[in-house]
Amino acid sequence: MTAQKGLKLGVSLHSFTTEYITYKWSLEDMFQLVSVLGGGLEIVGPAHQRGYPYLTDEFERIFKSSVERWGLTPTSYGTYADPFMLKDRDLNEDELTEYMVPQLKSAATLGFSIARMQYFSYPVIERLLPWAEKLNVKMGYELHTPLTIESAKTQMLIEQIERIDSPYLGLIPDTGIFARSIPEFRLEATRQAGVSEELLAKAVELWNAKVEGEEALPELLRLGLRKQNIGNIEFIWGSFGHSDPELLKTILPRVIHMHGKFFSMKNGIEPDVRFEEVTKVLVESGYDGWMSSEFEGAGGQDTFELVRQQQAMIRGYSAKYAKQ
Amino acid sequence: MPNPQRVTTVEPELPAGVRAILAHTGKPRSFLREESIRNVVRNGVSGYELGVNLTSYRALPLSCIEGLLLKVDGNEVDSTTVALTVNGYSHKLAELASLSHVWWFILEPATLFVPSQTPLATGSHQVDATLITVEPYVTAGRFSFYHPASRTLAVE
Repeated sequence: MTAQKGLKLGVSLHSFTTEYITYKWSLEDMFQLVSVLGGGLEIVGPAHQRGYPYLTDEFERIFKSSVERWGLTPTSYGTYADPFMLKDRDLNEDELTEYMVPQLKSAATLGFSIARMQYFSYPVIERLLPWAEKLNVKMGYELHTPLTIESAKTQMLIEQIERIDSPYLGLIPDTGIFARSIPEFRLEATRQAGVSEELLAKAVELWNAKVEGEEALPELLRLGLRKQNIGNIEFIWGSFGHSDPELLKTILPRVIHMHGKFFSMKNGIEPDVRFEEVTKVLVESGYDGWMSSEFEGAGGQDTFELVRQQQAMIRGYSAKYAKQ
Repeated sequence: MPNPQRVTTVEPELPAGVRAILAHTGKPRSFLREESIRNVVRNGVSGYELGVNLTSYRALPLSCIEGLLLKVDGNEVDSTTVALTVNGYSHKLAELASLSHVWWFILEPATLFVPSQTPLATGSHQVDATLITVEPYVTAGRFSFYHPASRTLAVE
């Protein structure tokens, strides 16, 4: 099967977390579902790979036989840096390297050409680069809220990427950074957690005004937000970013993969994420790579159907902006 | 001879295998599993066992299990006496902090062993348990997440 050029769609199995951990869908079930959801397969190392961070022969056989049977394309492997895994201190750079290398090896042996990296891998990325080259796996920093394109952390990552200038190091934007509004289910969860209507309205106002989380939180605490609700507010500022999809053009030469994060679908549209503009930039700029659908919305829904609808929406935008 | 009836079917939108998977059902999940409590004797120590799940969405090293709050029939259990059995090996809760190379896989059920001089009486018991974990990449440093669960469990 020759891969077609342009924007290709797949799924991160993270979308099916609820079904997976409640034993509704096995790993093999999810592989089969991916075969009718674009065919690009993304896994989360510690969630799906028994034996993580090491690859067992058993898991390799299970994975490869499913990929072969369902004609899937392994796209991106979700690595973790887990810098706070020790009780008494953060992982040092030797330990971080020692933890990341088997993950890159797992990705390569399973047939992934891309490894999703958390920005915590930043201090050891130059030590990992020879491994990435040897294993032929490209490392991509995920740009997940609060790492919007314009954020200081992202700018630091871009500086490093430009300086190293290797095809084995790039970016994986998560579309949660291109939000236009806070999803209703998240507002409802915040309400359920006991945040008053008045404070919630103030939070929405501050978010809409693009006030940074570090400023918004003290303001809300001053207005009476209770300590036990700090997490609910941090969740909003940690999930939904204000980057303009136009900015995607500025980093596109370094983009090696996309996470199509979405929260809900209403009448065939994702109401809170600027997918049309994102797809327009990708298609008009000739992006040649995958986007993994990544559902992270309210539970209790038909996740498979939501992913189908989201992919149909993206295909629609893609056709609309394709060069004639 | 009558014409054999032509069977016309609407092309199914999804393969049958996919439709079968979509019809599967799951089980609600929390820290406490629904299995009965078992009175046991382990290495000469009597007590009882409870089935438990990891509360994250991914595997965690045991060093990310911060603690346990446990009440049986309203009585608080001293968690320092409790052992967690994962992958067939038992560890006292206090030992977990050093086990950063031992992983608890997300689909792997585990067991809590609570030493007790007297066995739990046959019948139902109210169990309230909270697992405290660290998601080792969330926020700038270790931050504890509390996962409370309550169940009425049987002793058979």
